[in-house]
Amino acid sequence: MPHTSAPLDIEAGRLTNGVRPALPGFGWFRRRAAAPAPAGAGASTATIIAFLLPALTIYVAFTAYPAVRTLWNSFHKVLPRREEFVGLENYAALMQDDLFWRAVRNTIAWACASPLIEVSIALLLALALYAKVPGARFFRIAWFTPVLMSYIVVGILWVWIFNYDWGPVNVALRAVGLGGWARAWLGDPATALPSLIFVTSWMWVGFNMVVLLAALHSLPKEVIEAAELDNCGWGAKLVFVILPLVRATILNLIVLSFIGKMKIFDLVWITTKGGPLWSTETVSTYVYKRAFEWNTFDLGYPSTIAAVWFVIVLAAVLALTWAFGLRQKLEY
Amino acid sequence: MRPAAILQRSLLLVALSVYTAFAAGPFVWAAMMSLRTTSEISRNHFALPSPAHWEKFPQAWFNSNYSVYFSNSLIIVVTAVVILTLIGSMAAHCFARYRFRLNRVLYFVIFSTLIFPPQITIISLFQILVQYGLYNSKLGLTMVYVAIQLPLTIYILESFFARIPSDLFDAARMDGFSDWEIFWRVSFPIALPAIATTVILNFILLWNEFLYAVVLITDEANRTLPLGIQRFMGDQLEDIGMIATGLMIAIVPVIVVYAFFSEKLIQGMTAGAVK
Repeated sequence: MPHTSAPLDIEAGRLTNGVRPALPGFGWFRRRAAAPAPAGAGASTATIIAFLLPALTIYVAFTAYPAVRTLWNSFHKVLPRREEFVGLENYAALMQDDLFWRAVRNTIAWACASPLIEVSIALLLALALYAKVPGARFFRIAWFTPVLMSYIVVGILWVWIFNYDWGPVNVALRAVGLGGWARAWLGDPATALPSLIFVTSWMWVGFNMVVLLAALHSLPKEVIEAAELDNCGWGAKLVFVILPLVRATILNLIVLSFIGKMKIFDLVWITTKGGPLWSTETVSTYVYKRAFEWNTFDLGYPSTIAAVWFVIVLAAVLALTWAFGLRQKLEY
Repeated sequence: MRPAAILQRSLLLVALSVYTAFAAGPFVWAAMMSLRTTSEISRNHFALPSPAHWEKFPQAWFNSNYSVYFSNSLIIVVTAVVILTLIGSMAAHCFARYRFRLNRVLYFVIFSTLIFPPQITIISLFQILVQYGLYNSKLGLTMVYVAIQLPLTIYILESFFARIPSDLFDAARMDGFSDWEIFWRVSFPIALPAIATTVILNFILLWNEFLYAVVLITDEANRTLPLGIQRFMGDQLEDIGMIATGLMIAIVPVIVVYAFFSEKLIQGMTAGAVK
């Protein structure tokens, strides 16, 4: 059968064209940090500086310095023409800020729900294609499309799809006699967040599917054949052979999806702007509003939000990495 | 095949086709609407575009400023990708080839930036660009784009460069190549597949980028496509037909690239999975 040959050979740690994958793998921090220095030759300091200077300059000017400055800002009141030290005042205010905590809850709910939905549907689809369905290549290419579009395009499309009067969702509901369920999906505080979570799932399932399919195609054939010789049924083969072998990939995808949703901004901004009634407010949109929309002109307080959020994201990612890594050790 | 197996297979195919309709349907719908006028659309939202109003594309292009948005996006993204490819591969080559103190430390610092939420830099970037006089300019946004994609580019390329056998470099050195020639005439050509991956990945991600653009650009003359679309949507909320045409203008380049390089593009996107 012509291939769906996976472009990625994740388990073996490389792409077929030789690029190391994408998914850095759990424990990437530890592993990368501990990696041995390259075996290559030493070179003059001048050479090394010449090669690194352009990248480091950009990195320092547009990433490192702004990050440090945000931390600095977080202890200040930063008005257009003056700056004044306020110590931990911003942090204290943040603890009392109900809107912030609302945004944190929304974002975390999103970041926890999405990976589970995306990865489980993606796994089902990947298994279906793995079972040698005709047209697998076409399906794979079609399903991958949504992730290539910007959140802006996707957001506008789904605003229309969820439209109360003529959106396909409500039209379909009315057509099957469930008109009572029709509603302004993004305008109702009860359904706005779930609807947006649904949109991100629509967008990312194909992506997760492609990565999982690649992992499935790179499984050692002998192991699966051995299971078949032992008269292992599909269900058992899946649970005892396939899933354990692609577990690392699944866990990777969960963390990636999690990180992506912790950053989400564009989709919310173009669809609901955090409304109705803050039901879709995420930390990113809240920071943006506090920095550039509310006429407080203070950049210190939003910097404090950014700093606290940075710590939360970092801690969550490290915790996930650690939890998944630990389980791996216990099992084997 | 037994009848039961055939039935099973057909059911599976039906299910997969339904999912395909769900995944691709919104685009097909938008594409249809992009060729219909708003009054046609409000009569029936789901009809085929007949007659097809191709003239809506030049209209959007010339009258609604899409030509400006499109060329801004193109200039900014292409410049950023070229710079990224050059300085990213130089840095990656250096991290992968040379032994020096701080090698792993620097690599790790840059690499760990991948999980930073953008808010940690964006507010100060706004301040800093205002100070440098780069706020609201194409140059400023280009530099920021280089910075945000740099860690991923270095990560993908470093791992590729690291696996080029060092014999090759020893041989090149023996032949009297300088360090720069080794990079430019040995490393770089060998790494072309990986470099192509990063080029495609960076292009798509930056073409679609919105957050930094919305913070750092306010001038109509410097708006990129995502900003232009948002602006147009804000002004002409009811003009669904025209908005759909605008969406298509933004999507077409991506679709064209996808049509020709679907495998390479999927590779690129999955290689960017760290994001």
